[in-house]
Amino acid sequence: MRRQTCSFVLAAVVMLGFTGMNKAVSQGIFPYKYSIVKLENGLRAYLIPTQNPGLVAYYSIVRTGSRDEWEPGHSGFAHFFEHMMFRGTKTYPGPVYDRLVTEMGADANAYTTDDYTAYHLKFAREDLERVMELESDRFQNLFYDEPEFITEAGAVYGEFRKGRTNPWWVLFESIQNTAFDVHTYKHTTIGFEADIKAMPTMYDYSKSFFKRYYRPENVVLLIVGDIDVAATGSLIEKYYAGWKPGYVAPEIPREPEQKGERKVEVKYDGKTLPILAVSYKSPKFDPDDKLAVAGYLIENLAFGETSDIYKKLVLQEQKVQVLGASFDKNRDPGLWSIYAMVKDEADIPYVLAKIDKAVEEMQNAPVDAKRLNDLKSRLKYGFLMNLDTPGKVAGNLARYVALTGGIEAVDRLFATYEKVTPEDVQNAARTYLVKEHRTVATLKGRD
Amino acid sequence: MRTSIISILLLAVVAAGAFLINGCSKMTKPETVLLQVKDDPTVSFRIWFKVGSQNDPSGKEGLAALTAAMMTEGATANNSYEEILDKLYPMAASYGASVDKEMTIIYGRTHKDNLDAYYQLFRDAILAPAFNEDDFRRLKSEALNYLEKTLRYSSDEELGKAGLYNMIFKDTPYGHVEAGTVEGLNAITLEDVKNFYATHFTRNSVVVGLGGGFDNALVDRVTSDMRTLPDVPYKEVPVPQPRYDGENEVLIIEKDASATAISFGFPIDVHRGSKDFYALWIANSWFGEHRNSSSHLYQVLREARGMNYGDYSYIEAFPNGGRRQMPPTNVARRQQLFEVWIRPVPNEMRHFAFRAAVRELQKLVENGLTEEQFELTRKFLRKYVLHFAPTTMDRLGYAIDDVFYNIGESHLEKFRRMMDELTLEDVNTAIRKYLHFQGLRVVFVTKDAEQLFDHLQSNAPSPIEYTSPKPEEILREDEEISHYEIMIPPHRIHIVPVEEMFQK
Repeated sequence: MRRQTCSFVLAAVVMLGFTGMNKAVSQGIFPYKYSIVKLENGLRAYLIPTQNPGLVAYYSIVRTGSRDEWEPGHSGFAHFFEHMMFRGTKTYPGPVYDRLVTEMGADANAYTTDDYTAYHLKFAREDLERVMELESDRFQNLFYDEPEFITEAGAVYGEFRKGRTNPWWVLFESIQNTAFDVHTYKHTTIGFEADIKAMPTMYDYSKSFFKRYYRPENVVLLIVGDIDVAATGSLIEKYYAGWKPGYVAPEIPREPEQKGERKVEVKYDGKTLPILAVSYKSPKFDPDDKLAVAGYLIENLAFGETSDIYKKLVLQEQKVQVLGASFDKNRDPGLWSIYAMVKDEADIPYVLAKIDKAVEEMQNAPVDAKRLNDLKSRLKYGFLMNLDTPGKVAGNLARYVALTGGIEAVDRLFATYEKVTPEDVQNAARTYLVKEHRTVATLKGRD
Repeated sequence: MRTSIISILLLAVVAAGAFLINGCSKMTKPETVLLQVKDDPTVSFRIWFKVGSQNDPSGKEGLAALTAAMMTEGATANNSYEEILDKLYPMAASYGASVDKEMTIIYGRTHKDNLDAYYQLFRDAILAPAFNEDDFRRLKSEALNYLEKTLRYSSDEELGKAGLYNMIFKDTPYGHVEAGTVEGLNAITLEDVKNFYATHFTRNSVVVGLGGGFDNALVDRVTSDMRTLPDVPYKEVPVPQPRYDGENEVLIIEKDASATAISFGFPIDVHRGSKDFYALWIANSWFGEHRNSSSHLYQVLREARGMNYGDYSYIEAFPNGGRRQMPPTNVARRQQLFEVWIRPVPNEMRHFAFRAAVRELQKLVENGLTEEQFELTRKFLRKYVLHFAPTTMDRLGYAIDDVFYNIGESHLEKFRRMMDELTLEDVNTAIRKYLHFQGLRVVFVTKDAEQLFDHLQSNAPSPIEYTSPKPEEILREDEEISHYEIMIPPHRIHIVPVEEMFQK
């Protein structure tokens, strides 16, 4: 198959026959042809050949993140467990795994987010089978003893310490803790410090965590680059078919509707310009929900670099040094946040009033049609220009896979973007940017 | 089979436009570095000016960075900055500047569909910056905030590394961070920016770098445009000569930190292109490969002892290490340093961690690598180098650095060849020639500076306690580490409150 590069072409999808299904299903913005392997144990794999000679990116996406830490006292555990996944198996103990990965010259790492954990390797084509052997082995047969577990807890605490000096980190922790009452988005991915301190005592719990979440039904593979699709499909069958299913869904509490605006003042033990954050409760990700998809566009239309408020506060009046918004895509209803780093603390009420005004303008009238079309163009070019290496293709798809179980959501999302009208954006602003559903946080540093 | 695949990889990674680099460079100013990639739907620009923070006038530190920011984050003669943002918006394109000690790169990338409209904006940033008073006020304020707030307080690791660079290159043109100093920035006027631009952003200091799906017409257009820059003779800054003696020296940056960040190192005079450089790269990769669990230091401090998040070492400048996995491009320098980065450790382990790292360095210097370590590491690097430059923009950056270092061929290509040609003896000779474990420059970012001062100057024992059982060999080694002597005379230990860092 030839790579279609980053131009606007149609992508054909082929289901490989491991479960007996074969069909072409989709066309859309995603420029590469791809194939899907689905094993009887529930594992899915997306095979995406691209024209990057010799290079392969291999992502194992576990659809478990800090969202799944529903048991009290276990915040941060998904991230901690990500570390334990590098401790090896009886067949390939940690040092042996490290040595084999080193011999391959692979670029190997992992990360954890609110909604998923991704293990990724980039390597030479000839090493694909060895990588698959190692990855399938540790996902099925992870083994470590208690002293190793306790030692790794020290490294995780070290990761917490290195980030703790960042005021944004402190702010995010407080916003989430204030905005949510019961849902697990109440804590950040790194977790509460008290829980991190207690991690060394949770060896037995870690085994239960592995058994419940590291199961084929909860994992999706993305294999991108210089691959032979048929041969790769056979390897997946060879190495993963024996993986026993048994995923146990987490009991994540449903967040009740917020009944009034919340405010929190956050103290940062360093010097920083004050930061104002306004966070609204957001809908869960659904690429077909036009109203919610229209909401994502508000991030850029109302608060991006070409917005009126940006021009006024950052460029003209220069009262704000940083202004931006983050309307995240989440598996469950989460937060859409607007941030402003304000130069003078006395201007915080003024800046908040301007944010309110920007929201009201979105709610009171349809956005300019040209600006909306410009944004659609920007989103398309932005997406396509970031697919130029196997690693970037897989990395950009990872969140969609985590939220929906597949990459088809990308085409559906961009198709929905195309359908969004100025009136849809107005309706989304009225529906989601509701004062009663928001949390206003102000972070201030030392004098 | 393996050989042929590697050959393909090599072609893909390093040689996409090599024929153009050699074949189409024009001898007349400006020079070009061209990396044409057939079928690439985008065009990458890297316009290199031979100017950097080393050119900052004394008392105006930060002028180069502020000038580049004024060019790329401000208005031009044809558009206000607001209009520029509006025009770039539907293209999902942008441009910017990176300023290092010796290099300034004006970079950008666009889809070919938008090339004409994009290039018009991009060229204006270089040829016709407006240098408005409003933009100046905004960007100077941002730079000051970066120094006074962000660098001092938001990441102790970056603070420590910046402190180490400043310490090693004190009293040389490399002796301040690219953003400048607080007093330097405060002294800079808009007139200074205009003068600096006119003097340093000239047709004689520019090299045009283009990558991706461009054609010859674009090459002609860009080079012709750059020829309209002022014809001011290029004046080279002398190579920095860091003051250096064989004694250890410590800077303790005191702040109320819950953990201690540690960096140490010393200047080295070895560069890309030389055989010793590649030999030393193998040694360094074994000792402290960046963000890689295979590194020896990482194994000693993190894997065996769980002291922190990671421990790495470098033989080239590696800014923003916390935010990148692969080496950066276009931070090329004629004077380099060897650097060890120990990520924050609990305060009570700071002395132990420092001792453990220096002890490992001593073992490396005295023993070199074993045959097995050498073979494993070069096997790793042969393929790992493939990840250094996956995109056209990355490869263009490397190609520009090749010109800076005057290598005469692709560094990445030579890198791979050297992995085959070098011997263990080459590596161990380079270790003995360039690395040492005395005469270190060391930075701690920590609290209770006086206590650390006492411990360091007296070589007080620094026992370590764990919350989990450790193997007997680790405990035996710990006993040695906790008494490992590092001689630091009291007059070579300086305590500086964080509020004074980067002030002048």
